[in-house]
Amino acid sequence: MRVALAEDQALLRAGLERLFDGAGYDVVAAVADGDALCAAVAASPPELVVVDIRMPPTFTDEGLQAARWIRAHHPEVAVLMLSQHVVTTGALDLVTQRGFGYLLKDRVLDVDEFLAAASRVAAGGSALDPEVVARLVNARDPHASRLHALTARERDVLSCMAEGLTNAGIAARLVLTVRTVESHTRSVFMKLGLHGDDDGHRRVLAVLSFLGDPAP
Amino acid sequence: MRRALSWAGAAFVVACLSGSFVLDADSALDYGTNAVDLVAYVPGLAATTLVGLMLSLRQPHQAVGWLLLLNGDLLALGAVSDSYAGWSLVRGDTDGAAEVTILWFTHGWPVIFAGIVAVAFVFPDGRLLPGRLWRWAAGFGVVAFVSTIIGGMLGHDTLDAPFSSVPPAAVLSPVVAGTLQTVGLLGMLATLITGVAALTIRFRRSSGVERLQLKWVALAGGLIPLAIVLGTVDGLTRDSGSGLLTAASSGLALAALPVAIGIAVLRYRLYDVDRVISGTVLYVVLTALLGAAFTVIVLAGGVTLGGGSPVPTAAATAAVLLAFRPLRSRLQGRVDRYLDRPRFVARRGVDEFLTELRAGRVEPESVGAAMVAAVGDPTLQLYFWFPDQQVHSDADGRAAELPSSGLRIPVVRGHEELATVVHTAGHPELARVLNDVIVRCGLAIEVARLRVEVRRRLAEVEDSRARLVAAAEQERHRLERDLHDGSQQRLVSIGLDLRILQRELPAGPLRDGLDQAVDGLAEAIRELRDLARGLRPDTLGDGLAPALAQLASRTAIRTEVDATGERFAVDIEAAAYFVASEALANAVKHSGAHRVAVAAEGRDGTLRLVVTDDGRGGAAAGRGLTGLADRVAAVGGRLHVASADGRGTTVEAVFPCG
Repeated sequence: MRVALAEDQALLRAGLERLFDGAGYDVVAAVADGDALCAAVAASPPELVVVDIRMPPTFTDEGLQAARWIRAHHPEVAVLMLSQHVVTTGALDLVTQRGFGYLLKDRVLDVDEFLAAASRVAAGGSALDPEVVARLVNARDPHASRLHALTARERDVLSCMAEGLTNAGIAARLVLTVRTVESHTRSVFMKLGLHGDDDGHRRVLAVLSFLGDPAP
Repeated sequence: MRRALSWAGAAFVVACLSGSFVLDADSALDYGTNAVDLVAYVPGLAATTLVGLMLSLRQPHQAVGWLLLLNGDLLALGAVSDSYAGWSLVRGDTDGAAEVTILWFTHGWPVIFAGIVAVAFVFPDGRLLPGRLWRWAAGFGVVAFVSTIIGGMLGHDTLDAPFSSVPPAAVLSPVVAGTLQTVGLLGMLATLITGVAALTIRFRRSSGVERLQLKWVALAGGLIPLAIVLGTVDGLTRDSGSGLLTAASSGLALAALPVAIGIAVLRYRLYDVDRVISGTVLYVVLTALLGAAFTVIVLAGGVTLGGGSPVPTAAATAAVLLAFRPLRSRLQGRVDRYLDRPRFVARRGVDEFLTELRAGRVEPESVGAAMVAAVGDPTLQLYFWFPDQQVHSDADGRAAELPSSGLRIPVVRGHEELATVVHTAGHPELARVLNDVIVRCGLAIEVARLRVEVRRRLAEVEDSRARLVAAAEQERHRLERDLHDGSQQRLVSIGLDLRILQRELPAGPLRDGLDQAVDGLAEAIRELRDLARGLRPDTLGDGLAPALAQLASRTAIRTEVDATGERFAVDIEAAAYFVASEALANAVKHSGAHRVAVAAEGRDGTLRLVVTDDGRGGAAAGRGLTGLADRVAAVGGRLHVASADGRGTTVEAVFPCG
C-alpha cells in the first residue's frame, strides 16, 4: 500500500517513515509542508496520506488545508490527520467523511492500534481520537440536542462508535458483554432517530454525520 | 499744513485768553463773577483745546479733533469778546468794531454749544451716520445756529445791561429777524435732540470698541446733570447762586466731556470704562450717603447736647468709618448689577455654580463649562495641567494639546500652575471679566484638577493591569505552543524511535523494560498535554459553551452546564473560562458538594457566568478568590462571591461585552 507522509519535524518524520516501512507500506513521499504534500499527491496519488495539522509556514492549519485540497481533487485518497492537540474548528465536515481519520500524535506510541487505525482509514473507514469525539459531543448545544436523552452509558457507547470501534471493540473498551453493547447501540440509534446496521462503517458514518450536523 | 492749522487753532485760544486778561485788567471792570467765570470756563476751554490739538495732530483725518479745537476757539472768542465789550464800555467808545463785538457777545452765545453738538453728530468715527436724512439734519442744524445768531445780531431787540446804551443793529425788519430767531431757536433744540438721538442710535447698534467709546462719553455726559444738582444745592445754601462750588463742578463737568472724547478716540485705556463708570458712581453715591449720615448725626447731636460738644462729631466720624466697608461692598454689588453688567453676570454665574458645587449638585469637573456660561464666551476652554507628566488634559482626563491659536491665560494658585484657560479673544471687555472669574473659580479648578488626576492615575493603573493580563495571556499562549510544538513533539518522536527499536528486539526482559519505558513516556506526554490545556484551553477556539462542557466532563463532581452558544471577545471568554475552571476546582477541593451548576448567559451587553454548588459554603476571600477577582477586573468585569455557611457557594462574574 502506498502512503505519503507530511510532518515538519525531521525526527518524527523519519520515525513514521520507518514505522510504515516496517509495517509493509510503500512510503512514496515524506515531506515537511502542505504544498510539498499536495505536489506529491498530484504527481502520483497514493492510497493513504498521513499529515500533521500544524506545519510551516504559519504553524496553524496547513495540514488541514492540504487535507481539504486532497479531498477536493483526489477524493479516492484516504487522509489520516495527526495533531499535537485537538483543534476542531474547521475540521468538523472532514471528520464525518469516509476515509478520514483524526488522531493525536502520541497515539503512534501504541504502534499496533495506530497501524490498525491507519489501515481502517485507508480502507475507507474512520478513526477518530476519543478526544475528538468528546469535542464533537460537547460542541453540540446540549439543550437543543437529543443527546440529552441518552444515559451516561449510552453516551460512552456513542463515543466508541464514533471512534470507529466495532461492538466487540466497544465491549472490550468498556468491559461489557457484546450483548449489552448491542442493546445500548440499538437504544442510541432509536433515541437519536438514526438508521444503520449493527456493524460496519455505515453506522459510524451515521453517528458521525449526526454529530457533525449543526444542532437543529 | 494740517499741523500748522492745529497749532494755529491752539495759538488763537492762547491769544484770545491773553487778550481777555489784558483787556480785563485795563478796564478794571469787575462784575463780581470774574473768579467764578475763570473756574467755570478755563478747565473746559483748556480741556477742549488741548484734546482738540492732540486729536487733530494725531488723527488729522478725524473730524472730532478739529471740531473740539473749533469749540475751543469759539469759547476763547467768546471770552475775548466779553472782555473787549467791557473794555469798550468803560472807555465809552461803543461804535464800529466795539458795537459789532457787543452784538456778537450778546447774540452769539449759540456757538458755545455748536462744537459739542457737532461732535455728537460725528462721534466716534468722525463721520455722519449713513443716509441722506442725517446729512439733511446736519445741514439744518448749521442753518438753525446761523439764523439764530444773524436774527439776533441784525434784529431790533434792545441789549441787556450793561450794554443797554448800545442801539440794536435793526438791519432786518422786526418780522424777518423775529422769525429767524424763533425758527433758529426751535431748530437748535431739534438739532440738540437729534445729536443725542444719533449717539443713542450708535450706542444701540454698537459693539466692542465703539460701545466702549460711547460709554466714555456717556460717563462724561452723566456728570453734567450731577453738576446741575450740585449747582442747585449750592444755590439753595448760599442764597446767592452761581457760587464757587457751582462753578467748580460745572467747570469739571465741562472739562470731562472733551477728555472722555479724547480717551475714546485715542483708545487710551479704553477698556477701563466700565470700571471707571462703576467706580465713579460708587464713590459719588457712597460720599452722598455717608455725608448725609454724618450731617444728620452732627445736627441731631448738636440739638440734644448743645452746639459746642465734640461728642456728636466724634460719633458721626466713628459711625461713618464703621459703615464705610460694609456699605461699600453692598453698593459695589448694586452698582455692578446695573453698570458693569458683564462682570455682574459673570460673578452671579460663578456664585451660582459654587453654591451648586457646595451642595453637591454639580461635579467640580464642570467648572470649565460654568466658566464658559458665566463669561458667555463659547470659545473658552479649560485645560488642566499635570506638571509631573508635562501634559494637559480635558475635564474627562484625556490628554489634550493646547490649541495653537487663541489667548492662553495660566491659572495659578500659590506657586503652582493648575491649568490654562484658552480663548479666542473676541470681546475686549472679556479679559477683565475673565480674570475675575478665574480667581473666583480657583478653588473649584484645583479640586477638579485633583479629581481628574486621580481618575487619570486610576485609568493608567487599569490600563497597565489589562496590559499585564494580556501579556500573561500571550505568554501562556506561547508556552502552550512551545509545549505542543517543542517538548511534546520531541518526546513523541523519541518514543516512536524507541518503539521501533523495541519491535526489532527479541522478546525478553530488555524488550519488556523498553515497552514499559515507552508507556511511561506516553503517560508523560498526556500529562504534558493536560498541562498545556490548563494554561489555555484549546476548546475555547470553538466558544465558551463547548469549552465549559468539556471542563464539566473532566470534573469529578456531577456538573450541569447551561451555556449560551453566543461568542464573545477572546479575552472575555478566556476570563470566564478561567473563573469557571477555578470555581469548579475549588468546589471539588473544598466544598464537599454533590452537584455543581455552571451557567453562562449573554444579556444586555454583558456576559454573566454563575457557578453554584450545594456544598458547605464558607469560602473565605483568600488568595485564590482575589486572583480571580483581579483577572475579572482586568477585562472590566466584576466578581461576586456568596458563600454563607451551609448554604453552598455561588461565584458570579459579570463581564461587559461590546
